[in-house]
Amino acid sequence: MFNMDWTGEYVAFIVFSAVIISGAVFMINFTKVVHMVVSLAAVFIGIAGMFVLLQAEFLAFVQVLIYAGAISILMIFGIMMTKHGDREAESKSRLHKIAAGIGAIALFGILFYAIRQTEFPAQEQPLHGAEDNAMEIGKLLFTGYVVPFELVSVLLTVAFIGAIVLAKKEANE
Amino acid sequence: MGTWLDETLTWGNALIFFLWGVILLAIVLGFVTYAIYFERKVIGWMQLRIGPNRVGPLGLLQTVADILKLLIKEDTIPRKADRMLFILAPALAYVPAFAVLAVIPYTQDLYFADINVGLLYYVALSGISTIAIVIGGWSSNNKYALLGGMRSAAQMISYEVPLVISVVGVVMMTGSLNLRIIGEQQGNWFWEWNFLPQIIGFVVFIIAAVSELNRTPFDLPEAESELVAGYHVEYSGFRFAFFMLTEYVYVYAIAALTTVLFLGGWHAPAPFLDFVPGIIWFLLKFSCIVFFLFWLRATMPRIRVDQLMGFGWKVLLPLAILNVFITALYLELFIKG
Repeated sequence: MFNMDWTGEYVAFIVFSAVIISGAVFMINFTKVVHMVVSLAAVFIGIAGMFVLLQAEFLAFVQVLIYAGAISILMIFGIMMTKHGDREAESKSRLHKIAAGIGAIALFGILFYAIRQTEFPAQEQPLHGAEDNAMEIGKLLFTGYVVPFELVSVLLTVAFIGAIVLAKKEANE
Repeated sequence: MGTWLDETLTWGNALIFFLWGVILLAIVLGFVTYAIYFERKVIGWMQLRIGPNRVGPLGLLQTVADILKLLIKEDTIPRKADRMLFILAPALAYVPAFAVLAVIPYTQDLYFADINVGLLYYVALSGISTIAIVIGGWSSNNKYALLGGMRSAAQMISYEVPLVISVVGVVMMTGSLNLRIIGEQQGNWFWEWNFLPQIIGFVVFIIAAVSELNRTPFDLPEAESELVAGYHVEYSGFRFAFFMLTEYVYVYAIAALTTVLFLGGWHAPAPFLDFVPGIIWFLLKFSCIVFFLFWLRATMPRIRVDQLMGFGWKVLLPLAILNVFITALYLELFIKG
């Protein structure tokens, strides 16, 4: 494990892993909702860092833009409208805690086992167009996947209009 | 500079990265110090005043004295504030502001990071500062701060959309999101730079950028006369200084970005002026934009909050989208056809 080269990439991997894991743990442990959102944003940024290490820069910065930027702000906005000192009620049932612990350990065991069992194929030839992957993604979207792409945009528009209609109805009452 | 990133990380390489970071930080801090001085002087002259002239020769040390004052001031944290977020917010605001500077190319060879989605990197990271401003406003536990934070978030989100869409035209013409390539591909004569072919995009970009910077006429988040000071009312000392620093670092970043995207970056305005090095041209254009921002502040009144939102969504956004369509039609009919 420690016979790896200490490239900048490896150091960055460790840093981003630490950010993701600690962010996720804090997200669960905090009691105030705003703190949770902030640690969630840290997780999003860590994941974006992982994408950069995997040379998917486009995906990484879209992740930062949409998840860490837009969605986090949306959540904070929603929370700020509610009570300032809102806290999560502590669950008291001990049985519940033990069951949750066992579930978490079991999930970890399954995932760990699956990862150990999987044989990763040896590095194939580098992905075509890895140099400029933003352009490759664009080409794929507008040739091979143009119908799903357009459907998704229609879906988003429908959701958008639906939200406006719902908000209007509530405002009128 | 890019080749170092692939090498094994030795202490020597780490030291080089660190030193370059420190150099950039020193340059940025120097810029901020004298940008504030220059801003006060320019606004003073425009209002027939003298401006700062007491501390040091010509008042040159005025900002230094102000910063020193902020640093030795008592650091107060309101008792009812959310302590952790209150402390986190200024740092969270500043880090993205400094990080976006990494992708800005100054000349052909002088740049820090050569990322193929540099423009997207800039836009994505600058969004994180918005979170910091909202958190700063919320954690202060003060209604003026909260109002300022909310206004700021609403404004930054509304204007980020036209800002991003207005540069799509430039990206389409260049065929790349890499800022270095965008700068490189602009022609040798000044009418071949992107600001003339992309005039709609350029105007939308400038307006949206001023709004992103929270500067007059869009300085609603800190409208002194209505909100006391907006999201940073409760901050004092060096935490307040960090918020101000963030604002001026974004001035630096936006001015540099505008230069690279629309004003030909390091190219001379005419081929026979090529003997002047590119960095001088870059700095000249950069200073003009910074001056333009100060000039705006001295001349424009503040607009109302409902006008602000209406203007962003109903005027700038359709214009930016129209610009994308026109660019696409032009490229399809005349360049590729």
